[in-house]
Amino acid sequence: MAQIPNLDNAPLNLNAIREKAQKDLLDMLLTIRGKKCLVIDPKLGGTLSLLIQFSRLKEGDVELRHLSAEPVQTDSSNVIYLIRPQLTVMKTIASHIQNGISKGIEKKYFIYFVPRRTVACEKILEEEKVHNLVSLGEYPLYMVPLDDDVISFELELSLKENLFDGDTSSIWHVAKAIHKLESSFGVIPNVRAKGKASTKVAELLNKLQTEDPVNVDDGAPEINTLILLDREVDLVTPMCFQLTYEGLLDELLQINNGAVEVDASVMGAQQDAKKMKVPLNSSDKLYREIRDLNFEVVVQVLRQKTTSIKEEYAGVKTTTEISELKDFVKKLNSLPEISRHVNLAQHLQSFTSKSSFHARLDIEQTILELQDFDSCFEYIEEMIHKQESIVSVLRLLVLFSLTNAGLPKKHFDYLRREILHSYGFEHMQLLYNLEKAGLFKRQETRTNWLSLTKGLQLINEETDTANPNDISYIFSGYAPLSIRLVQHAIRSGWRSIEELLKLLPGPHLDLKRGTPNHVDSFAGAHFDRVPDGRRSLVFVVFVGGVTFAEIAALRFLSSQEGMGYDFIVGTTRVVNGNSILEAIVSSSG
Amino acid sequence: LLLKESKLMEKNPMASKGSPLHGPRIRVIEQAQKLFAETKENMFESKASEEYAKLLRVQHELEISTKQAIFVDSSISDTIRTCIVLGNHRAALKVKNEFKVSEKRWYWLKAFALATVRDWDALEKF
Repeated sequence: MAQIPNLDNAPLNLNAIREKAQKDLLDMLLTIRGKKCLVIDPKLGGTLSLLIQFSRLKEGDVELRHLSAEPVQTDSSNVIYLIRPQLTVMKTIASHIQNGISKGIEKKYFIYFVPRRTVACEKILEEEKVHNLVSLGEYPLYMVPLDDDVISFELELSLKENLFDGDTSSIWHVAKAIHKLESSFGVIPNVRAKGKASTKVAELLNKLQTEDPVNVDDGAPEINTLILLDREVDLVTPMCFQLTYEGLLDELLQINNGAVEVDASVMGAQQDAKKMKVPLNSSDKLYREIRDLNFEVVVQVLRQKTTSIKEEYAGVKTTTEISELKDFVKKLNSLPEISRHVNLAQHLQSFTSKSSFHARLDIEQTILELQDFDSCFEYIEEMIHKQESIVSVLRLLVLFSLTNAGLPKKHFDYLRREILHSYGFEHMQLLYNLEKAGLFKRQETRTNWLSLTKGLQLINEETDTANPNDISYIFSGYAPLSIRLVQHAIRSGWRSIEELLKLLPGPHLDLKRGTPNHVDSFAGAHFDRVPDGRRSLVFVVFVGGVTFAEIAALRFLSSQEGMGYDFIVGTTRVVNGNSILEAIVSSSG
Repeated sequence: LLLKESKLMEKNPMASKGSPLHGPRIRVIEQAQKLFAETKENMFESKASEEYAKLLRVQHELEISTKQAIFVDSSISDTIRTCIVLGNHRAALKVKNEFKVSEKRWYWLKAFALATVRDWDALEKF
């Protein structure tokens, strides 16, 4: 199975987007004559692997290399760098070129920036005195389909940049990407945004529309509603441990660009110690069926499937009917998929069956319900004393601090001191950054978490994970705040929950766009139904990242009876609590 | 005041990344501590810097007395664990008292350290 997802079932023609991106890339290579060596930024490798088979890039005399500090050794007369506009990368390239000059090697150099060139990068080339030797270009790749209902803008650090660095270039990038989508699929008439970055994206989107208008008269727009949410609005959800199959895979094995890497022995291969890549996307029918289920249920489903095959095998042994044999052989075709997921599920179970795992989930639930402050506090204290990994400590600590609107000074100072004593004083900068971002701070106001959980029904005591009727099955009792907001936004807009929205960070905004006569045709009829009765399409964009659990919740919602919506998810990247905190820890060194 | 605070913070990473020579490094940390002490909001940071400088001194002494360069740049908890693993219980106790380590944490550290060196007898005794 390929890592490049099949997009034929997408509610929007994502194939067209991908094909355009492929064509642009191949055309770019074609315009350069002669033998060429394509040097790819390692940061782009994963993104490109979702876009195009590398074998197709090699057609027509192209060598492929990964960018590293080592100068490129090649016979080709053209060297093409395909890179993210980063200053360190520019320095590396400059040193490559200078190295070539000093050895008297003559080559043509090209630099293609993804998605666009920046003044700062060009300045570096000037400073290094190589700007006359290179041709600069852009490869405007603003998004990649991650699956048939997920688009990634591939902005790895957008949350950290928005929270700490005051770097808002990702906002521009997101607006530009949505604007590009609109030029293919029409201007989205309804826009709802919550959060500082999201409302800015919405404003920019309007500006882009006036500067470079998309024709609004080309029939009805394909996307009906755009919902923009800042990750900052709901940081509680990513701190919770994901319990769907896909979520668990990401928490425990890290899904990168739609694949996990595991030891070959996990997958039942003989040669151990070797790593193996397992692609995970909806091209795998079984995965499509089970990825969004609560993991408990996945184990049962897999067990049923294997026993049913076993039983049929016993039946087939005694039959002489060719048609029955044919049916059975058809079922056998699904065997590789079943065994793949049985192997993965077994591997996950070796983690989830531990009692410490359940103790942690219990504490998480207690924190979410704002119960028993002391035992939550002591649990975290003990984790620090045992010097468990700092990221897993912080994950609970941040959750604890978020739901309590900070910790009382006494507790705050005590835990900070214990962290510095246990993990080293060099973490002072980290604690300061977390405090500045409001992730772990001193309590100054009373918490409004209870009003939120009540107002939005975030805690559901009776959850049937096998036959769920609400998104709270995802976290075995907690319904993700972000998705509750989406539910309200599509049902009745922001107006009905205005008071609750004010309890969350950032402004909110509700816009109607398009020509006046378009607006007229929608007035009267409720906006969520497109006149001809098709299901309407909602584009939910998470600025700062989304978790697999939240994507699962949206898929669950659209599969519910009586829901006339399909969802497409857009995100700067897929995140989880660990990846968010790791980015903060590593930048606070 | 905000500007001043941010300046103070800039001082600090410099302190932790300072040269491996203890003299200048400790001095930078002590400077940071004094700056932190000037504002009321930074009492915590000020105290932490004070302890940091003290820890580096203690670790330096330990490296001289044990002739092993394994202490500097580890945390207080790690320092205690290393002392116990080396069988130097008196030094461990001294670090514990000097930095007012709570009994709770002390027992975890001691249990882990004794388990590392498989000193089951001592583990049973305490």
